[in-house]
Amino acid sequence: MENREQALERYMKNTHRLGRAVSMVTLMLLLGAPFMIGALLGAMPDLGAVARGFVSVGLVWTVSSVVEFLVYTPMLGAGGSYLAFITGNLINMKIPCAMNAKDIVGTKSGTRENEIISTLSIATSSLVTILVLAAGVLLLTPLRPVLQSPRLAPAFANVVPALFGAMGYKYYRQNLRLAAVPLVIMSILFILAPGLTSSTSLMIIPSGAIAIGLAWLIYRKHQKEGRV
Amino acid sequence: MNGNILEQLSSGPVYAICGGIIAFVALVCILFLVRAWKAGIAIGLDRKKMKRAVTASASFSILPGIGILLGVIALSGSLGVPWPWLRLSVIGALHYETQVAAAAAEAAGLPELSGSAMTAPAFATIALLMSLCIMWGMILSALFNKRYLRRLHGREEKQPAERKTGFGDIAMAAMFIGMVSAYLGSYLGDFVSGEGLFSFRGSWTPLVVAAVSACAMALLTWLSEKKHMVWLDNFSIAASMLVGMLAAVVIGK
Repeated sequence: MENREQALERYMKNTHRLGRAVSMVTLMLLLGAPFMIGALLGAMPDLGAVARGFVSVGLVWTVSSVVEFLVYTPMLGAGGSYLAFITGNLINMKIPCAMNAKDIVGTKSGTRENEIISTLSIATSSLVTILVLAAGVLLLTPLRPVLQSPRLAPAFANVVPALFGAMGYKYYRQNLRLAAVPLVIMSILFILAPGLTSSTSLMIIPSGAIAIGLAWLIYRKHQKEGRV
Repeated sequence: MNGNILEQLSSGPVYAICGGIIAFVALVCILFLVRAWKAGIAIGLDRKKMKRAVTASASFSILPGIGILLGVIALSGSLGVPWPWLRLSVIGALHYETQVAAAAAEAAGLPELSGSAMTAPAFATIALLMSLCIMWGMILSALFNKRYLRRLHGREEKQPAERKTGFGDIAMAAMFIGMVSAYLGSYLGDFVSGEGLFSFRGSWTPLVVAAVSACAMALLTWLSEKKHMVWLDNFSIAASMLVGMLAAVVIGK
């Protein structure tokens, strides 16, 4: 009879195998789709323009992708991160969703429990998004006037502030000392250089680095005091 | 070609291509979900906890899902419906897609990203560039996920066993705090200096929405902790977001 450790080890081994395979298949499908649609329309992509466009905009996203991979993979674990990088919408949905599930269930990052909970969370979130979008596309004609009504427009333009307000309260109340410093520094930075607001997703890096650095100092202090 | 390009981009075969890829990814999600559930049971994880993770994640995702649907609607005017549907169901991100699509349109030689300017070769070029620009996370994940996590976990395993809390967990919470701080700071910066340094004429709606959402979250947390309504935890983020978004409707900006 297989014990728990063996079961987990087998699960992890197969998760990596499956994750790599489905990532590569999805990648081929996504790169192949423009050619397939182009063939249907009787036109092919202009590869010269693609190369020029990639140099002008793609490099920025490449840097951003490297950072996202380095930062979010440990948060999500193996299964969760394979799925999250396939299904996208990390910052505005998958990361907060997995963190919320982790908090509700009470697991810790890097544990086998969190690996499972994170995968369940990301898979569920991805499926719900796919279903919402499929239903929305199916009902596009009747839904369009409602969703695009000027009355509701402010609500949908503020999904991310609403999300970070709720999540912010949850995390700030538990780590008030830790939260104050990056919040103040980021606020001052954005006030003095408002142009940075268009690069907020990149500003997560220095902000996160400040928070982690501060957390490390607090952790070392607690260690010396024997509290951790 | 221009006259009916949007019709062609929303034709049955294009839906079939994009819908087929989305269906494949949905199957992958189901596979990961079932495997994780079974592995959870095998390692002795409480079924109730797993159920809570699924319920909370489902309720959490509905509102952002509707927000993402708006991204599909916004892009459908220039790229047809199926392609934005695919991009925002698979790999894409709401805040990236519009920017990348606009930049790709410029690279494809269009004066702007619009249905009237769209041509079949331009669409194929834009679609390929959109795929190329945001695929690196998936590639890095496929190539390095195992090695990276093993290295990180290896370090954590070297920590003394008697420690109550590893730094890894604290670091993840800190990273998330950093992420939230960057966004909240950007809302404040936009309000104070968005329309000129210290002009205080920028949009204050995101700040109010975040504050109202945080207050709603505080109330729901209080009910959960003090009034023992623990079941609220599964829906507290979604409900708080809804209250915050309603505040935006009331403000009307």
